[in-house]
Amino acid sequence: MHPILADARKLLFYELAWLAAGVGFAALLRLDEQADWVGALCFTLPLALVWSFDVLSAYYVCRSQPYRQRRWPVTLSLFGGASLLSGLVFLGAGEALNYIGGDIVLGHAFVTMPSAAWVMYFLGGFALYLLSLLAHDVLIAFETVQDAARREAESRVLARDAELQMLRTQINPHFLFNSLNSISALTGFDPAAAREMTVDLAQFFRRTLALAERERITLGEEVALSEHFLAIEKRRFGKKLAAQLRVSPEAAQCLLPPMTLQPLLENAIKHGIRQVDGGGTIEVDALVRDGWLHIAVVNPVARDDTPASGHGVGLKNIRERLAVLYGQRARIAWQRSETQFAIEINLPVDKEAGT
Amino acid sequence: MTSTSRLRALVVDDEDLARHLIREYLQGHEDVEVVGECENGLDAVKQIGALNPDLVFLDIQMPRLTGLEVLEATGRRSGVIFTTAYDEHAIKAFELHAVDYLLKPFSRARFDDALARARTLHASAAAAPAASPAQGVEALVARRGATLERILIRDREQVHVIPVDQVECIEAQGDYLAIEVDGKCHLKPQRISEIEEQLDPTRFLRVHRSFIINLAHLQAIERPGPDRHAARLRSGKRVPISRSGYEKLRELV
Repeated sequence: MHPILADARKLLFYELAWLAAGVGFAALLRLDEQADWVGALCFTLPLALVWSFDVLSAYYVCRSQPYRQRRWPVTLSLFGGASLLSGLVFLGAGEALNYIGGDIVLGHAFVTMPSAAWVMYFLGGFALYLLSLLAHDVLIAFETVQDAARREAESRVLARDAELQMLRTQINPHFLFNSLNSISALTGFDPAAAREMTVDLAQFFRRTLALAERERITLGEEVALSEHFLAIEKRRFGKKLAAQLRVSPEAAQCLLPPMTLQPLLENAIKHGIRQVDGGGTIEVDALVRDGWLHIAVVNPVARDDTPASGHGVGLKNIRERLAVLYGQRARIAWQRSETQFAIEINLPVDKEAGT
Repeated sequence: MTSTSRLRALVVDDEDLARHLIREYLQGHEDVEVVGECENGLDAVKQIGALNPDLVFLDIQMPRLTGLEVLEATGRRSGVIFTTAYDEHAIKAFELHAVDYLLKPFSRARFDDALARARTLHASAAAAPAASPAQGVEALVARRGATLERILIRDREQVHVIPVDQVECIEAQGDYLAIEVDGKCHLKPQRISEIEEQLDPTRFLRVHRSFIINLAHLQAIERPGPDRHAARLRSGKRVPISRSGYEKLRELV
């Protein structure tokens, strides 16, 4: 709907402005001695009212021709045709009102029109409609720009939310408080180990905070962060947990979104190693082949484990994040056998300029 | 404190360092003796049965069975101090039912407090066994979590853990529930209304006064007679459906 028609206050002011213009027009006719006050007002005010609505229709004419899809010959002939029609309507309405309306109300025409007046009326109607078309075009363009800006702001807020969400999940309270408990235990009999664990914990959180703000980091940086994480978890789970990371030098230089590998390791421990009686080894392989970065994580799982609720949410999050950043070009797949869980991520190789 | 009121304690936690810390804190208390340690829930169930300790330090988040599931499986309701690093739901429940718990990491002073309270409770329970303040834990075990995901069945010394998705149907038989899984039938002492409340209502439906079925195992609804319905399950088993059960089923399916 037209923005003026949709708002009663705006419509009121708009109509008042047109009526004022009608009074002005009547004053001109009076000055020119074409009519007395009564005849002039009886003529101009209804005409202004009809006209006020007629020019608003330009909004829909403009909307029918979205700016980006315009073919100018079509648009120009449409605008010209609409204005022409409008000029004829103005002329016809004016003449009909003047002679027929006047005859009924006063017994004679409201205004004694000079012989060349119809040309003026026609041109006036034509020009006014053309002006209205241009004004509406500007109005619509302005609205489009505002809309785009609002949508961009909204998407920025969404992205920010996602980032905060990620940070919050990274600073996993289970992990933090359990690690602090382990440090508390170590201080009693192995102060040196307690100190090392404190440093690992600090390094892990410092890196997480620094890296999560960046859009891409190298796999090498992610591995460094993951090693602090694994060092902490090895203290917690002792002999149960072992890890082998095989990352080729070329793969280490590839860029990927932060916190892609670390959550996989966290899952491997939480849902895998921790549930297996004797523990086991997490194996990570990363290499580059044919322009693709392959990352595979394999870990043992308990044979008769019943997956607790909430399992798989973390993996779906990673899949969604990769889909947002890479679209169809990223692949993530996982499968679970009786005794083992394997996950593989394939990303197009993307390296930092100059490395 | 006389020598007859020595406390025999079991420490249950899957982290070596966490158990080590509790042992260290206990060293200052000569009246407490650590009789065992467990690193998963199933082991804890066995040890609690075998040792019948006076006091159990019980971690909530553990492999195999959670701390609350250990209590359910063993029927133990008193002489428990929970330990947890972070578990919003559990902590809310502890507060609600005034059950003692230790938040990791905890100080020696906080630990000593909890131990002193446990000692007092143990002494009063020994003097008057009927008056033991076990209702808190009882309520905790009965209302744990949002929906039940696995059912524990105790079979002498063994504990079977059955994922609810594998359950075909549950029949009330006197004071017991007959739980049908893969053609086998497990008995568990529980009321059908109680387990009905715990199960996910979108997956399980009470179709009859004495039957609950798993909708994923439902194959067809049969009409053996006018105004009579029965559910045929994938295993071929037929379960009667009451009139109100049929209406609920029609809404869901």
